Amino acid sequence: MSTSSSVATGHAAPQESKFHLLVQMAMILAVITGVEVLLVYLPLPKSLILTGLFVLLTVKFILGIFLFMHLKWDKLFCTILFFIGLILAGGTAAALLAMFNDSDSVPLTSKDVSAVTVVRNIQAV
Amino acid sequence: MSTHAATGAIDHHHDHTTATGIPNKKLFMWAFLASDCMFFGALISTHLIYRLHPTPGSPDPKKLFSLDLTLFATFVLLISSLLVALAVNATQKSSLKSVRRLLLGTIFFGLIFLSCQVFEYGNFLQEGLTLSSSMFGTTFYTLTGTHGCHVAIGVLWLTLMYIRTFKPADESPWILRSLGHLLVFAVVVVAGVISVVSAAHGVEEHGFALATFAEVARHHLAAILVTAGGLAVLAWLGRTRAAVDFDERNAIDVESLGLYWHFIDIVWIVIFTVVYLLEFL
Repeated sequence: MSTSSSVATGHAAPQESKFHLLVQMAMILAVITGVEVLLVYLPLPKSLILTGLFVLLTVKFILGIFLFMHLKWDKLFCTILFFIGLILAGGTAAALLAMFNDSDSVPLTSKDVSAVTVVRNIQAV
Repeated sequence: MSTHAATGAIDHHHDHTTATGIPNKKLFMWAFLASDCMFFGALISTHLIYRLHPTPGSPDPKKLFSLDLTLFATFVLLISSLLVALAVNATQKSSLKSVRRLLLGTIFFGLIFLSCQVFEYGNFLQEGLTLSSSMFGTTFYTLTGTHGCHVAIGVLWLTLMYIRTFKPADESPWILRSLGHLLVFAVVVVAGVISVVSAAHGVEEHGFALATFAEVARHHLAAILVTAGGLAVLAWLGRTRAAVDFDERNAIDVESLGLYWHFIDIVWIVIFTVVYLLEFL
């Protein structure tokens, strides 16, 4: 009897702390979201706000995956598996954005299209 | 391991019967989420690229977006994420009543989020932004629509998990009853979303007043009655006291569902900043 009750208490204590941790986590994420919105309206340089937003986004992301998604308590392999996808996604996004930032990637306007058509017609003649 | 074996408690993070030491369902879910990361990464990048070079005729997103509504939807999804985390916790403790309540709470907040999205899309369509009106419309609807589909699938999964908690411990037939349960849920969801969205449109047009709700109730009486009737049937179906086949051993199923739901929340966190907030700079 005493063994089972001590086991039950031992099992309940971490569950209780986990409950508090999850509630605190949700509150922290809500506060960060509020700060993000506030940041957009602050009269600060755009680069500073952008940096702030991406830092807060990263903090929320990391907190979400490690605590809400229990990655902190899972085997390292789960973290590696998820980060493979995340790095590939981030790398693809970075490559695409770098490529399309080039001036040659600016989509043609109707003026440009008509100019190109004229040039092609001249070349055809 | 020895400690767990001695206490008889289930280790929810490790499975010593698999080669990796990770439960197969969890491993599958992490692999799926990694692939989904790449999927959303491509969609978000596409949206950003076309925001860098707006094509002629693109609308001004700052005039279209309602930050209040998006912020509300973000908080709603955050609360649902907390509830599903607590549901995983409750399953590990075999607290069936809490699991059911928390799953229902998550479904409710998931539906509120979807209602917000339907409301937002309705407003955008009125402003003339469609899937084919501009490149902004195409990338915006594809990205947020894909996320919305993920939320809808999550709500369906949550509903199936809720119904699963009623599986009887004996071998008595339960499939037909479960299908009925699911059908009532579907009817309540559709009628409920119609009622909530029309009430929101009414409040937007005529303000927050009793007369507005009376007018909405008059126009959408059928939807409101079906929602109320469906909720009563759901409450009746949920009153079973018979022993069920759902306990701590099912924690991995609820945890997989939780992982999926948290991922949806995290993707929204990124969309909220990258798609919505950046427009207000």
